[in-house]
Amino acid sequence: MMRALIVDDEIYARQEMEAMLNETGEFLVAGKCANALEAIRAINKERPDVLFLDVQMPVINGFELLGMIDESLMPAVVFVTAYDEYALKAFEENALDYLLKPVEKERLLKTVEKLKRRFTEDDKPVFTGPDIKKIPCIHSAKIKLINTADVEYVRSGDGGVYVICPNGEFYTELTLQILENKTNLLRCHKQYLINIDLVDEILLRENMVAEIKTKSGRVVPVSRRYLRMLRERLLF
Amino acid sequence: MEILFRMTQAMSVFVVIAYIYCKSPLFKSLTADAITARDRIYLYLVFSSLSILGTYLGVPVHDAIANTRAIGPVLAGIIGGPILGTAVGLTGGLHRYSLGGFTAFSCGLATILAGMIGGGVHWHLSRRNRSEHLFDPKIAFLAAFGAEILEMAVILIISRPYDNAVTLVKVIAVPMIASNAAGAALFMSIIRDQKNMADRIAAVSSAKAFKIAERTLNILARGINGETAVALAKIIHQETGVGAVAITDREKVIAFIGEGSDHHEPGNPIASPLTITAIQENRVLFAAGTRERYHCPLSDDCPLNSVLVVPLHIDNDVIGTIQLFEPKNRRFLNMNKTLGEGITRLLSNQLLLSRYEMQKNLLVQSELKLLQAQVNPHFLFNSLNTIIAVLRIDAVRCKDLLIHLSNFFRKNLKRANDLSTLAEELDHVNSYLQIEKARYDDRLAVEIDIDPSLLKMILPTFTLQPLVENAFKHGISHTMGQGIARIKAFRTDGRAFIEIEDNAGVFHEKEMEDGHGIKIVDKRLKGHFGSHSGVTISCVPHEVTRVTVQIPMESHAS
Repeated sequence: MMRALIVDDEIYARQEMEAMLNETGEFLVAGKCANALEAIRAINKERPDVLFLDVQMPVINGFELLGMIDESLMPAVVFVTAYDEYALKAFEENALDYLLKPVEKERLLKTVEKLKRRFTEDDKPVFTGPDIKKIPCIHSAKIKLINTADVEYVRSGDGGVYVICPNGEFYTELTLQILENKTNLLRCHKQYLINIDLVDEILLRENMVAEIKTKSGRVVPVSRRYLRMLRERLLF
Repeated sequence: MEILFRMTQAMSVFVVIAYIYCKSPLFKSLTADAITARDRIYLYLVFSSLSILGTYLGVPVHDAIANTRAIGPVLAGIIGGPILGTAVGLTGGLHRYSLGGFTAFSCGLATILAGMIGGGVHWHLSRRNRSEHLFDPKIAFLAAFGAEILEMAVILIISRPYDNAVTLVKVIAVPMIASNAAGAALFMSIIRDQKNMADRIAAVSSAKAFKIAERTLNILARGINGETAVALAKIIHQETGVGAVAITDREKVIAFIGEGSDHHEPGNPIASPLTITAIQENRVLFAAGTRERYHCPLSDDCPLNSVLVVPLHIDNDVIGTIQLFEPKNRRFLNMNKTLGEGITRLLSNQLLLSRYEMQKNLLVQSELKLLQAQVNPHFLFNSLNTIIAVLRIDAVRCKDLLIHLSNFFRKNLKRANDLSTLAEELDHVNSYLQIEKARYDDRLAVEIDIDPSLLKMILPTFTLQPLVENAFKHGISHTMGQGIARIKAFRTDGRAFIEIEDNAGVFHEKEMEDGHGIKIVDKRLKGHFGSHSGVTISCVPHEVTRVTVQIPMESHAS
């Protein structure tokens, strides 16, 4: 049984897809998500094998969502859309398959075959996805998109990953790893990413560690391991 | 006494010259509104000759000449200004000086002064914006009168021996002052009359042209067909008073009014070689009836003898001709020739304009057709997908949704130039909303608040639907949270308002560009209700986008 996650902004589309997946007897539906944020959370938590993903969704579309998934967790992706204008783009994104709504049962069975082959060959899907220009954050029950250029640093802790801007801290579902890979933020500590453009000064301490003071006066620790890389990067 | 008589004779010669001058092509330089450098040269030549002639026509008196030399420079000065007056005076004066006599210098000088006086009058009148008095014979009279008194004074002051000068002035003063002043006034009055006549003819023909234009433009807005062509021909026939008027297309006569209409009938193929040539070569052809005649190809008894054929065209394509005829016993007036050509040019422009208008309307219609044809495929397939999903749970609802979907498409196929009531528009929108509500069952609320007295209000079909669809396509489908759509119709200050709101607060400038739904709705409303109606958009980012349709209530009786 493959663990499947359904992502679609229409409730009946999700229900219909779930029903059809159940009918094949090949899937265990691990969750249904109405938008990209729910999807990121569910992927991080449920670690599904395959994603049935709608392209057109509010705020963050299906392609953008792929760029926000941690590579180690990347499931196989089957795009499900009402209209085939995205087919080419879908395959550029290394989608395993591309289904048109309303989905035909026979067509879905072919997708099942493809998925099975993929998993027996065990080649991990590779998605590069677009760079992240805006980080989706949750802020008092609203979704806030923060430009990466406005981010001073990112901190990960027990409570999750927080994006820190001059005007506040915002919780995000994205992992530190994916933000390091897909944005221009640099790792300065196991738990921190820093935006070099908003650094005010770097204070060197004993033991080859340092502290970074951001333009808004916040202090970010730099560990020994990453100080060396920062030095190479900044040539000091 | 004899001198006065001789001088009157000289003056008469001047009057004849004035008359001939007015009939000559040289006179054109005076009827023009602005005098060009070339005109000035003509004026200089004419009035210098006049001045010299005045000397020769003079009467020898006491080793001097009683003369009408001053008329030339005075008139030249008044008409052409100080420079021209002085130049003419200088010419006449130098000529007089060359003839000798004891007043040679004083008379020559006085002639120059006469030109300057004329020029002074011109300068004075122009400066006070009273140029219309330049051609007033009274002014000419007074100027010449003054110039002659001055001349007498100059003779007395300069010419020696003084006694001789006194004797001379006693003899010539009265006749010279009288004849120069009267001559100048007469000359000017002839010029003025001729000039007025030219002006009047111009005024009459332009009034005629305007009248024809005014009467024909409305007719032509409907394009050229058998009916409008007859109306057009009638107007041209009435206003120009020519013998007959014909309008043809490229192959046949479509209207014929006036003499010879017994055998020139609408529907006849074009037979006249003149017309055929005019159409083929796209040029105006004229047979004046003297050397070139119009030979009626249909009947030997045709009274028509002269014709003007003017091609009627749109862009560069000849679409037909307008023809003006005169019978054998009447001359084809030049004025009618000009008028005929002018009117046809005007009509051609008007035809171009009406074609442009028509194409613009067609464009809006086809834009709309395109918009309707472009039923959003996402909408269609997602709707079907939703309906299929609903079928698993609720067959009755599934049936309702299918009925709404078919109603939506049926309404979409309605002809674009139809009108609908607000109630019909809302029915169309409702089908759309029912499906959207099903698609976003969990996160969409629709609020509708309509003033029932507006339900019968007439709107262009497809006013509401594109606006509501827009609110979903560009608004609600871009929000993650609860979507709210509101449709309100109410009246305030004698106007009806329809508001379509969504809570996404997304607005793209391009939605108001040509070709987009909102812009087309706006164009159609303005086309139907005038410029006080239309669509406006306001947007508070992330809160609300409000599209408002405004319609003046008095423009439709509901």
